[in-house]
Amino acid sequence: MLLPIQINEQSAEPLYHQIEVQLRALILSGQLEEGAMLPSIRELAQTLKCSVITVKRVYSDLEAEGLLRTRQGTGTFVAQVGAGERDRHRLASVLEAMEQAVAAGKRVQCSAEELQQLFEETLTKHYGGGGRAT
Amino acid sequence: MTDRPAIQFEEIEHKRLNFRLGPVTLDIPKGMITAIVGPNGSGKSTLFRMALGLVKPTKGHIALLGRQGDMGCDEQLKQRIGYLPESDSQLDDNWKAHDKAEFHSNWYDSWDANRYREMLRVFQINDEIALGKMSKGMRRKFEFTLAMAHNPELLLLDEPSSGLDPMAWKTMIDMLHRYMDQGERTVLMSTHIIEEVKRLADYIVFMVQGKVLGVYEKDELFRGWFTFYVSGEGLNGSRLSELPGLSGLEPAGGTTYRVTTSKALEAERWLEAEGLSIVSRSPLELDDIMGALMEQHGLGIRVNETRGMRP
Repeated sequence: MLLPIQINEQSAEPLYHQIEVQLRALILSGQLEEGAMLPSIRELAQTLKCSVITVKRVYSDLEAEGLLRTRQGTGTFVAQVGAGERDRHRLASVLEAMEQAVAAGKRVQCSAEELQQLFEETLTKHYGGGGRAT
Repeated sequence: MTDRPAIQFEEIEHKRLNFRLGPVTLDIPKGMITAIVGPNGSGKSTLFRMALGLVKPTKGHIALLGRQGDMGCDEQLKQRIGYLPESDSQLDDNWKAHDKAEFHSNWYDSWDANRYREMLRVFQINDEIALGKMSKGMRRKFEFTLAMAHNPELLLLDEPSSGLDPMAWKTMIDMLHRYMDQGERTVLMSTHIIEEVKRLADYIVFMVQGKVLGVYEKDELFRGWFTFYVSGEGLNGSRLSELPGLSGLEPAGGTTYRVTTSKALEAERWLEAEGLSIVSRSPLELDDIMGALMEQHGLGIRVNETRGMRP
């Protein structure tokens, strides 16, 4: 199976972290359904041009979080994720994305007001109306 | 399964009239692809030959697939190994490829005729041709097939892709990935092709002038080395000398500096804390990383010129 994971070559963010964030999102958003079989470690390493050490780490981290399970000799599968857990994880990934957006803004010396305005504009773009999600 | 390395070099030294290799202490991990990179003449091929017992080290020990190899590499052990030497032997130029394969198959209990046929088909090799009549790329593909057709658990590949066209090269990469996907297998290879390292390696070993400069996990290495253009009000060079992982510092006009670091993430955080901004950034290529490491080891740029390194 091919996973829509993209690596940002320009980022110094460790590769395992980049992959983990995206794979976690794929699972929590339900794009990868429970029971779906993931590529083998070597296969995913080949597609992403990363080392198997990185993929091993991603799989074992997500397994520890309860999102994946590995069956000896068969492969790695998406585990059952409870609704409550999904919700908690869901917001965690949004929070992380916001942190990154704010950090990106700080890097180019945006003021808090500017960021707030950008945030409102983005909200309007995606949700319409006066920036209030309903 | 034990986690013992596939090959262990321990304090290996090898002296010849005009070349000295070592001392080298190096573990080649099992289940991984390890790529050795370095300028020509840095001792990579000698290291391969020592692992196989074809060259005796002056000092030190080598353990191969868990066995102390002081008595050399015996027949039983050789069954479990595939070796592709750097250059293809001219002694068997008059042989038909098919005959060489047959001779080869007699030596290996686990010779897999189907796999041999399949690889010939994928590589589009005609084994009725005499080896000396084959093009360089065709010959390379054939020798690569011979090294793999007995499904060895350890593959030693000395510049496997030299002479291959881009399509054949891609096929080879793919074959190696599939080979690795079948359990506890190990590849040790040398290469000059950066893209090959990126696509295949799990670990990278830098070897220069008979010495190992370091062993690195690939992704950590590539995530670590970056060049930043940094600027800030009243910025000067001495302030930047404390940048984590600093390995190069050059003024780039005004209060802008070009810095090279081996610890990009830490360096980024440090710059942010110092209130300095990164104007632009780019990851280093493998050859630049090697150049920086060579400088750190006092091996300088001259080596590049004299040894004719190819990026």
